[in-house]
Amino acid sequence: MSAHLLEVLDPGLGAAFQDHGRAGWRRFGVPPSGVMDDHAAGWANVLLDNPPTAPVVELLLQGARFLALHDCWIAVCGADAGASVPMWRAVRLCAGEEIRFSRIRGGVWTYLAVEGGFDAPLLLGSASVYARGRLGTPLVRGDVLLRTPGAPFRLPASVAGRSVAWEERRNYDATPLLRVWPGPQWDLFSEADRAALCERTWTVTPQSDRVGYRLSGQPLAPGQWQMISEPLRVGTVQVPEDGQPIVMMRDGPTAGGYPKIGVVDAHDVARLAQCRAGQNVKFRLAAQAVG
Amino acid sequence: MDWTPYGPHAALVRFADEMGDEAFARCGAIRAELERNPPEGLLEFVPACTTVLLEFSAREVPSLDDAMPDILEQLQMAAAVALPPEPVKEIPVIYDGQDLERVARTHNLTTAEVCRLHTEPVYKVYMLGFAPGFPYLGDLDARLHTPRLATPRARVPAGSVAIGGQHTGIYTVDTPGGWNIIGHTPAKIFDPARRSPDNDEAMFLLKQGDRVKFVRNNGP
Repeated sequence: MSAHLLEVLDPGLGAAFQDHGRAGWRRFGVPPSGVMDDHAAGWANVLLDNPPTAPVVELLLQGARFLALHDCWIAVCGADAGASVPMWRAVRLCAGEEIRFSRIRGGVWTYLAVEGGFDAPLLLGSASVYARGRLGTPLVRGDVLLRTPGAPFRLPASVAGRSVAWEERRNYDATPLLRVWPGPQWDLFSEADRAALCERTWTVTPQSDRVGYRLSGQPLAPGQWQMISEPLRVGTVQVPEDGQPIVMMRDGPTAGGYPKIGVVDAHDVARLAQCRAGQNVKFRLAAQAVG
Repeated sequence: MDWTPYGPHAALVRFADEMGDEAFARCGAIRAELERNPPEGLLEFVPACTTVLLEFSAREVPSLDDAMPDILEQLQMAAAVALPPEPVKEIPVIYDGQDLERVARTHNLTTAEVCRLHTEPVYKVYMLGFAPGFPYLGDLDARLHTPRLATPRARVPAGSVAIGGQHTGIYTVDTPGGWNIIGHTPAKIFDPARRSPDNDEAMFLLKQGDRVKFVRNNGP
């Protein structure tokens, strides 16, 4: 049975359904989309015994407010956005209760899951909203969020005591060390530039979003700029003509014509995603760490 | 044909060194082969003008070095046999773009000549990319090759017909963009509303391997 669970009082700086993303449509130019931080979003679902594919609400920074229309269990994981409910644990909401995300303190993306998962429309096999491509729309004031209809849902009795272990709650303010694999144009860069990628400290710029994170630092210079467009991946590090690397994220273009020095390891993309503008990141060559 | 690693469980296969008829034919044959007979453990593939990205399941394909020789052989055999050409799809265009006069001036042509040169060829959809369903079309008449804008526009409306370097293309969604806009089409190249429950691909009017001709339309 589907239930009216939450009403959106304010979407804040951005609120939209996301899940594990859409697979198999990049050859039609459709990016994978999906949660920016699969670690935090995954824990929100695990706390409530939801399937890993259950859609969650992804919040950007701060300002979102929701009203509970029905008693329900929720879980909030990810960025510390000053949530009015405890984070990283299963929480019982009572009808009439309001949840607020008032002020961002660390990280960028916060995830809100409900018991049984949200009932969100699927497009090309995924509930992930890709607004620019008109696949789904972000949440707006007045939207009512439903629980997935169908199977009767019963949480285990132990849920009230569930929380995520401390060591799994990441410190988003720390400088992440991102593993990077050599990209297709690795050899187009000088030995000095390849070394510099890993030795230098890079700063996340404000021109960073679900499409890509632009970094700034001492510029890199490949031996050649003009290229025939080639496929991009989530995590691909492209170096455009200003020499400042761009890491492609989940709503990024499926192809691009700049040299690709590397690819951020899939497990570390989430760590970059939670870095705010002005925060530093470092790279470490993944191939060296293995073997 | 060769390949290079693109992350731990992905390979970028290069099937041509430059764009052209041969690259186009090979791309279509490789795409059809990957659709019909996907190698074991292939999660997703993305063809481009001269390359194709293969992403594998780490569990099913633990070593690219072990798996890729057979896959390259499979793709090489497929690429040797060109598919029959697709029928030509006509796309109506109203040549009223904000960059039309500048493109004409750049090449010492009249705007009428730009329209004529743009409507003459049968274009090939080399790839879809950049945005959902956005077709990279070749081969544009060399007299119309025009560099992209130094500073991309913040918003180019869906339906804009544009020239970027040696390509022409059609914007499918409202997006920032740096191509020179010479006109627009009422045809919906990408339309999420056009899908039916059993045919998601109907969202996309054009597919890799299609052939396209622009038809001048003076309508509204």
